[in-house]
Amino acid sequence: MLLENYLCSIVLIVLGLYAIITKKNAFKIVIGMGLVDYGINLMLVSAGFRVNGTAPIFDAPTQTQYFFVDPVPQALTLTSIVIGACVTALALSLVVKIKEHYGTLDTDKVRRLNG
Amino acid sequence: MDKNIKVKNVIVKTAADFFMPIALIFGLYVILHGHLSPGGGFQGGVIVAAAVVLVYLGYGHETTENVFNENLLKKSETFAAIMYAGFAFLGIFYGANFCRNVLADKMGAAGELFSSGTIFWMNFSVGFKVLTGIGFLSLIFFGLLKEKNNESK
Amino acid sequence: MTNHLPIIAIQVLFLGAFISGLVGYKSNSLRKFVIFLATGTSLVLTLMLFKPVMMEGQIISYWMGNWVPVSDWAIGIGLEVDQLSLFFGLIVTVTVFLGAIYSFKYMSKDNGQDKYYVVFMMLAGSVLGFVFTGDLFNMYVMIEIMTFAAVGLTAFRNHKAESIEAAFKYLVVGSIGSSLILLGTVVMYAQFKTLNLAQITALLNNAQHTPVILFAFALMIGGYAVKAFIVPCHVVAPDAYAAAPSSVSMLFSGIVNKAGIYGMIRLVFVVFASMNLPSMQFLLVFLGTITMFIGVTMALAQSDFKRLLAFHSISQIGYVLTAIGLSTILGLTGGLYHALNHTLFKGLLFLCAGAVLYSTGTTDLNKLGGLAKKMPQTAGLFLVGAFAISGIPPFNGFVSKWLVYQGTFAKSMETNNPGYVFVTIVALIVSVMTLASFIKVTQSVFFGQLPKEFENAEEVPLSMRIPMWILAALCLVAGILPTAVIDYLIKPAVLAIKSAGNYVAVMMGQEYATKIYTEGIAIPKYDYAMAGWNPTSWLILFGVLLIAFALVALTGGFNPRHIVGAENNNAKFDVFFSGEAAEHSHVAGNDLFWGLKHNLKGYFHFMHDVHNGVVNDYALMVVSTTALVMLYLFLLVK
Repeated sequence: MLLENYLCSIVLIVLGLYAIITKKNAFKIVIGMGLVDYGINLMLVSAGFRVNGTAPIFDAPTQTQYFFVDPVPQALTLTSIVIGACVTALALSLVVKIKEHYGTLDTDKVRRLNG
Repeated sequence: MDKNIKVKNVIVKTAADFFMPIALIFGLYVILHGHLSPGGGFQGGVIVAAAVVLVYLGYGHETTENVFNENLLKKSETFAAIMYAGFAFLGIFYGANFCRNVLADKMGAAGELFSSGTIFWMNFSVGFKVLTGIGFLSLIFFGLLKEKNNESK
Repeated sequence: MTNHLPIIAIQVLFLGAFISGLVGYKSNSLRKFVIFLATGTSLVLTLMLFKPVMMEGQIISYWMGNWVPVSDWAIGIGLEVDQLSLFFGLIVTVTVFLGAIYSFKYMSKDNGQDKYYVVFMMLAGSVLGFVFTGDLFNMYVMIEIMTFAAVGLTAFRNHKAESIEAAFKYLVVGSIGSSLILLGTVVMYAQFKTLNLAQITALLNNAQHTPVILFAFALMIGGYAVKAFIVPCHVVAPDAYAAAPSSVSMLFSGIVNKAGIYGMIRLVFVVFASMNLPSMQFLLVFLGTITMFIGVTMALAQSDFKRLLAFHSISQIGYVLTAIGLSTILGLTGGLYHALNHTLFKGLLFLCAGAVLYSTGTTDLNKLGGLAKKMPQTAGLFLVGAFAISGIPPFNGFVSKWLVYQGTFAKSMETNNPGYVFVTIVALIVSVMTLASFIKVTQSVFFGQLPKEFENAEEVPLSMRIPMWILAALCLVAGILPTAVIDYLIKPAVLAIKSAGNYVAVMMGQEYATKIYTEGIAIPKYDYAMAGWNPTSWLILFGVLLIAFALVALTGGFNPRHIVGAENNNAKFDVFFSGEAAEHSHVAGNDLFWGLKHNLKGYFHFMHDVHNGVVNDYALMVVSTTALVMLYLFLLVK
């Protein structure tokens, strides 16, 4: 694992959690959720890194190098990106509906269910 | 102000006209070559679904409603999911476990386009499902925008 | 052929969702027939697995695509059905079948039914897939599908504002939980380079528990605690249960909770094999005890029918977690039995609440009353459920709660630790308060005076009553024949929890298992040190930053503001001096325990302020729980 990737992903995750916990606008909370997902994806892809490895593709006739980076985390990251896209889509449609019902996006005011 | 809007429409419309066939063809290329190069079902499906967004950007909401049929998209999505599960069940019918690549030797050699057994067909059904699914999602969002625009006008 | 049964049972549920979406346009009854066929087939297939797995003790291991392990290294996705998985699988399929029958008539007044059934079947299929799988990343994917389906069903009635708000909060908090599980999975993969649960169990058996492994463990415990709605991550559960349609609330309290509990059992007992450490037992018992207590005390103060049932559901999950945390054979038996019973009686109670909502159109306890004359069968079935949850013989709650009391008491005798006697006392008090709360609910909904607007409420249709009768009969049977239930269902599952060696042996081959448990297998060292930095210290730094961040946010350091409190002022309890502050005050059956609530005002006001409805505070509670668990694991667990 490379140091820069690792540090960047941790910074992204912590910033995403900061956005979810402190921002009051519902849109900014959705952006925070996306940031957490992207940080984890970055860490997942860089978990498969091997020095001097190349892309894990088989070109059968013209292949010269056989030392690949780990292809499993790349497949897992694809699944995780799809899930992140679906979460964003669902959250945004809920935000549109909240604006319709409540007239505001401030989470201090969207709290009819309490106690 | 009118002059400004007309120019913007012409520019966006021309760009949409230019990029739409590119989106369709390139997306299909990425879907079909999933077993030979990076890409595959999901990535190619999203690129093709960008065609729906381009039609909306260039031509407006009425044209989009006339061109794309919502019911057909909904039914194709479920059909693609059933197709995927059907190909996965082929493994059980041939005696092996679930999701086994049982057509690997019956198609072409490795490295050709039409090869690698059930991977090719599963890739295609995933791409089909993604493109119909995201297209349908975009159409619903555009419908929402139209109501809001009508209210604010 | 029995090898293929688990995957076919899962796929039938998913295929049922899509086929019903395709052919349902023609007619409603065709769609209902497809759903009935799909859930029924899945139930029958899971019951067919009962004989080989439970009675003969065989563990089914299935590699998808025939990718068997190559040179002792697992490369494919594996399903492994042992007795614990089949126990939860039976609970899931029975609940889904009864929920589907109930929702045929219950949802007939709503439009958009085709979307409802598709998402319903996806929820069912994903939970069944979660309990049957043996692969770490597959567990994450199934839990994500379950979260989406649950959020979609909560927001189903989108003409009401509360549904959308509850769904948004559930999505934010649930997504944080799933991200924590994913982060734990990523760290585990980076350590072991494999995702198969059996192989990770084997590798962890001989490895030293480095700080990185403890970090991943803490993250996954935090993630599964959010999914199982354990205090203090429970705050979105009452909103979600109350806003969803009742047939879906039965699924939430029946299988979504249990998925979190199953994930925790599989992780803590089998994979990490850490339950012989007293500090881990203390963690789970502590979490379970405060869940029990806070759940039931909040339930005493509620005035909405389904929200009250949701808080009771949280408190019963506290029972299950406490019993499981004891990690003795008696405790595990009590915990698993209570999980089964909880699904049965809580499902019955939610279906009765749905019947009341269908007939009268409201769930506010202050407005209902005297429905026993109009809906006698529902009232009788509700009484059965209320007796079962309070632990009155001859119903099933009595057996499992008695096992829990006995388990905690025996544990305190064994370890000479008086703390466990305190747990027994808390469990008894919680049981008494549960009974008190249900007396209040029965009085205010079914007995008393019938308000004028409900004069023509009538009994619910037959197809809604059939699942309720079946659940009540199962409650009675599980209470009368406890030894049969324990011998056939619970004991194999408990033995499966305790014997991780079998799990490994079946999945990876007998020679691998003997090799692991006698010698050790070296993990191939992919050199992280190649990049020149040691990731362990950076992970510890991340943990420390997370803890500090949580502490600062909790004390209001980020944006200092006053805590937004909930409003509760009511003039009906003031002393009548001269004139009244309010125009009209109505002392309803709901105010049965006013004295208790008034004397403990400070506690109830604090709890109401904590549940203040702001989604940012809910997310903060989840993050601080994870930080505290991480702190605990680093400091106290050897």
